[in-house]
Formats: sequence, structure tokens, C-alpha cells
Amino acid sequence: MKWKDMISMALGNLFKRKVRTVLTVAGVVIGTCAIVVMLSFGFGIRESMEAMMRDMGDLTVIQIHADSGSSKSTPLDDKALEKIKMMEHVVALTPVCMLDPSQVTVKSGKYRYDSMIYGVDMGALEAFGYKPTQGTLPKKEEENRTTILMGKDGAYDFIDTRKTNNNMVYAEPDKNGKLPEPFLDPMKAKLQAEPTPPENSTAKVKPVKLNCIGILEEDYGKSPTPSHCIFMDISLAKELQAKYEKLNNVKKDKNAPEGYSEASVKVDAVEHVSEVEEVIKKSGYSTYSMNSIRKPIEEQMRTIQMILGGLGAISLLVAALGIANTMTMSIYERTREIGIMKVLGCVVGNIRSMFLMEAGAIGFLGGIVGVGISYLISTVINTLAAQQKGGDAMVGLVSAGSQISIIPAWLALSALAFATLVGLVSGFGPANRAVKISALTAIKQE
Amino acid sequence: MSLISVKDIRKTYRVDRERVVALERINLEIQPEEVCCILGTSGSGKSTLLNILAGLEKPTKGTVKIGGQTVSNFSEKQWALFRQKNIGFIFQSYNLLPTLTAVENVAIPLVFKGVDKTERTKRAIHMLKLVNLGDRLFHKPTQMSGGQQQRVGIARAFVSRPQIIFADEPTGNLDSKTSREVMEIMVSLAKRYRETLIVVTHDNEIAKYADRIITIHDGNVKSDEPNLSILQTIHSEKQEENA
Ligand SMILES: Nc1ncnc2c1ncn2[C@@H]1O[C@H](COP(=O)(O)OP(=O)(O)OP(=O)(O)O)[C@@H](O)[C@H]1O
Ligand SMILES: [Mg+2]
Repeated sequence: MKWKDMISMALGNLFKRKVRTVLTVAGVVIGTCAIVVMLSFGFGIRESMEAMMRDMGDLTVIQIHADSGSSKSTPLDDKALEKIKMMEHVVALTPVCMLDPSQVTVKSGKYRYDSMIYGVDMGALEAFGYKPTQGTLPKKEEENRTTILMGKDGAYDFIDTRKTNNNMVYAEPDKNGKLPEPFLDPMKAKLQAEPTPPENSTAKVKPVKLNCIGILEEDYGKSPTPSHCIFMDISLAKELQAKYEKLNNVKKDKNAPEGYSEASVKVDAVEHVSEVEEVIKKSGYSTYSMNSIRKPIEEQMRTIQMILGGLGAISLLVAALGIANTMTMSIYERTREIGIMKVLGCVVGNIRSMFLMEAGAIGFLGGIVGVGISYLISTVINTLAAQQKGGDAMVGLVSAGSQISIIPAWLALSALAFATLVGLVSGFGPANRAVKISALTAIKQE
Repeated sequence: MSLISVKDIRKTYRVDRERVVALERINLEIQPEEVCCILGTSGSGKSTLLNILAGLEKPTKGTVKIGGQTVSNFSEKQWALFRQKNIGFIFQSYNLLPTLTAVENVAIPLVFKGVDKTERTKRAIHMLKLVNLGDRLFHKPTQMSGGQQQRVGIARAFVSRPQIIFADEPTGNLDSKTSREVMEIMVSLAKRYRETLIVVTHDNEIAKYADRIITIHDGNVKSDEPNLSILQTIHSEKQEENA
């Protein structure tokens, strides 16, 4: 028997019993819709959670801290950092050294800078995703020790040293919503840095001229946050710190490890973060990344999705029972027909195939319609939700632009495949029953 | 060599605790192109014998050979394929598929054989014309009389040109005039295509169309002889022609 003929006979049988076919297909449609829509909520929630976490911090950055205190701890020195840098998936790395403005004086004439200074690998900033609002980021090739970058509000952190009160400009808008001008424009001002000598000391210190080439865009997802701060070359920062310690006779803690206290690592993709983080942890450092937060959230998401998918699966199970019932009924009705076909030389394999095709077609049809309706439901829900959000814009967990219900193409396709499979599986029992019908008893039947 | 050779066939059924003997011991040889009639009273075992010959039932004992092949121990699938190629079947209750038209019904055995749609439609229409149903090609079984339905059944049995046609009480549901028409069509088609036709009946009138009449009684062959009346008819027809 030809495939074409089997298919047309199977479809013909479905077509002959229209009402029953439609009702059975409707069962599959509801089941498919339930699964797809439920899972689509799961994907929607997941997507907005991810968007939210992206806002909270860069998911691909790992922060490393040298374990202080214990003498046996591994030092976070250049050698160690070089090793980490060579690891697979690591795209950039920078040590971070924090300087207090009391240790290093940055000034321009009578104005003294009074906020954080971070010593970093200036050439790596671009890879970490820092962006300038003015000027440029330093290029790796043309590294210059005196190049600095200013955080967005760094310019407001200068104090007029000649006054004792009212000596600062705050970055707060006035009644007209206009920001006041800071004392100076760091891109133009002549800036210099020097280690702060002890009070009443007469020691002469040689200042280093600084050249600010850019102002950074504010981004609270980044650490260090480019806000009230200066970014400076790490070696200069280290040098200034060492000079300060010498001038002020600061005694070094013998237990404190050599090298840097902190570093940031940028990984190429979110999926590789835990892998890299694991290796770094094993080398004896403490680490912190958004991934550590992400994991439990993801597990929760998975549980939610499983519950939602399970609810959908139950309705598809009911649909499967419907298909099995329809096919069984159809066998009882067609017993005689099956008998005639057998007597006329139809091999049992063909009879089985035709029954399976019928059941599979019910599943497939239900799947197609179900997926179509799911897309429709999803669109309606998203539109309604968008209107709701428009009403109270700032409120709500879901960040703007994200959707409550998302149906990825693979979900649609696998739902279709699954519905067809459900059809085939539920048709299997009835099909085997049809095959076992004795031709003789079947044709004797009235 | 005979086409069908039946050796020591026995068939018993178990009903509850009792054993019913349908066929006691049957031995038969049927030659190619023979038109045979299996005659007997109700319950004598005619249908049982026919069903065994067509592979719809297995004998309790004995062997059946068709064309030299021992068919009595065929598997179900072997039987299906064998029937596709070699056997046509005509039923008392027509057994047409109710949702199909006459043409589609006649073409069914060709569908199972994997014949192309245009080819099988052509052959089905040809067969229907041979049984004088050229004007009922696209009617459904319910739109036809019993005699017409049985003629569709005959066309279906002959369409794939099998070697053997089995007919179980083909006229059982028809009046005597229609019965005669149906028998004439069947016998003439069998003769025309040089096929072997085996008809089961309890009606002596029907038996007259056969070359050979095998009488069954209580599961045994009671008599097996050439049909004298048909020889007489042929004889008288020849005389008429000569006159
Ligand atoms: N499936 C069965 N189970 C039990 N007994 C059966 C079965 N089929 C037939 N018989 C018995 O076998 C015997 C022969 O039956 P069969 O159908 O061959 O008779 P028949 O000659 O065709 O009769 P009829 O002319 O009425 O059709 C009967 O006594 C019947 O009761
Ligand atoms: Mg009978």
C-alpha cells in the first residue's frame, strides 16, 4: 500500500466524523495552549528578572578579594593576575586599589579634590564597558601614567581650601532644574597629585601632573561605580600610596599579603562565569559576582516554570485520554470495515499505520491550532499589560519594554512535536487493538 | 497438477466445554479454471471449509496447498499478501465500505496492492462496466439495490485478476431472478479470465451453474461429481445451434 493512499484514507476517516474529530482536536488545542501559555509566563518572568539583574550589575564581572588576615593566604600579585588573565573565557582584568583623599592630595590651584581615587588598569576600562560622556577612554597602546578619568560627579568633589564654610558646589539641581557649574572643568584644569605629608611637616614632595582625558557615564551596575571618583593608573596609585606611607611612617602589617587587595575580572559570557569563578576560588581568593545571586533566582525560576508547565501538562494528559477514547470508539465502529480490509488483502502493518496516522493527525492539528491560539493569547496579554504599565509607569518589578508572556520559536515547535507525539502515543493502544481484530469475526458482525 | 489440494482437513471448535466438529475429514483436489460449487445444508460446514481455503481460519488438522505452496501454515501477513495477489472474495452481505463510491469500492484491493490512483480508477471503471454498472459508478452502496451492490462486490473480487475467487452464498440475500443474473455474471467473468471460482451455497438452482458440485454433509464430502445438468444444457445449446 502506498503512503499517499494510507494518508488519504486516514484523513478521510477523520473528515467523515467531523464533529467527533473537532471535539477531540479541541481537547488537544486546550492542552497545547495551557502548556505553551503557562511556560510563556515563565519565560516572561525570567526575561524581566534577567533585565533587572543586568541593571543591578554586570553579570559577567567577577570581583576578587585577597583573603586578608591569615598569613597563609595567596597573594594577589601581578603574577597571580597574569595567570587569571590567561584563563579561558577571561577577556579583561584589572587590579583595583582604593586611595583615600587623605593619603593623596589631588588639587588644582586652591581647589582640593575630596573623594575616592581608584587605581586601575586604565587600558582595561573599555573592555569592562565604561563609557565616556566627554573625551575618550585611554587606548591600551598609548598608555600614559599621568592619564586620569573623572567619574560623572567627580568635578563636584573639589573644595575651595581658602574658605571654611560654603566651600563646595553640590550636584543638585536648583529651583529651575538646572545643575550649578562646578568650580572647575577637570578636562581643562591643571591637575596635580601628591602624597599627603604629615601635618606640620616641612618635607618637600614632588607633585605629579595629571591629565584628565574624559568624564565617565554614571553606571551603578559597575564596580567601582564611575560617580564621585577619579580613575588613575594603578602603578601611579601604588607609587603615591607607597610615598605616603613612607612620609608618614605608616607601619606595614606583616600579616597583610603582598600585592593588591582587589581585582575585577571580565568574562566573555554569562554562561562561563561560574566556571571561571570556581577556578579562581580554588586558587584561594574570595570572589563575588552577580552570578552568586543569579543562581538561587534561576533555581526558583525553574521551579516556577516546572509548576506552570506541569499544570499545562495535566490538560494535555486529559486531551490524550480524549484521543485514546476517540480512537477506541472509532475501532468499535469500524470493526467490520477492518475485517473487510483484511480479507481483501490489507496487511496489518498498513492498518496499524493508518490508525496511528489518524491519531497523530489529531495531535498535530490540535498542536498547530493550539500554538496559533497561544500566540494570540500571548499578544493580548502583553498588550493589556503594557497599557496597565503605561498608567503607573515607574511602579512594578517588570522593567519597561519587557513582556509578561514570551513564546520562543523552539517552544512553539516543541509544543507542536509534543502534541503530535501525544496523539501517536494515545493512538498506539487502539491501533494495536485494530490489528488484532479477527477478520472472520469482524465480517460476521452485524 | 491441481490448483488447490486439501488433505485430511479437520476443524473443531470449542464452545464452553464441548467440542463442535465443523469439518471431520475433507480431501479435495480442485483444478485450475474449474467452477466448483460446494453444496450443503445449513451447518454442514461449507463456510468453514471456504474460510480455511481463503486463510481466514486455520484448520485444526491437515494441510491446504495452493499452487504447490502449503498455505495452511502461513502467517497472517503471508496470507494478506497471498490474498492480495491470488484471491478474490465475494460475500453474502456484499461487505462494501459504506462511505466509498462504487468505483472506490472496486478499487480497494488495488489500493492495498499499491496500484497508482489513475490506473486503479481506470481498471475499476472497466470492471463496473463489465458487470453492467456503467451508470452507477459514483453511487454509494446505500444508493444501490442489493443486486447492484453484489455486482459491485463481484467487480471488486475480479478487479485484481486473482487466480481464485471464493464466494460464500453470493445470492443468499437476493431474489431468484437477480440470483440468476449474479451467477451468470460471476461464471462468465471466471470463464473469460480463466479463473477458478468456488461458490458455497445451499441452493440447488445455483449449483446448476457450476462445472462440478461437491456436496458436504456433517463435515464430510458426501458426493463430488461433474454437473450433469450443465453438460446437458451445453449439449442442448449445441443442438439448437446446429438446428
Ligand atoms: N466460530 C465458531 N464457533 C463454534 N462453532 C462454530 C463456529 N463457526 C462454525 N461453527 C459450527 O460449525 C458448523 C459449521 O458451520 P458453518 O458456518 O461452516 O456452516 P454452513 O454450512 O456455512 O451453514 P450455513 O449454510 O447456515 O451458512 C456449525 O455447526 C457451526 O455451529
Ligand atoms: Mg455459511
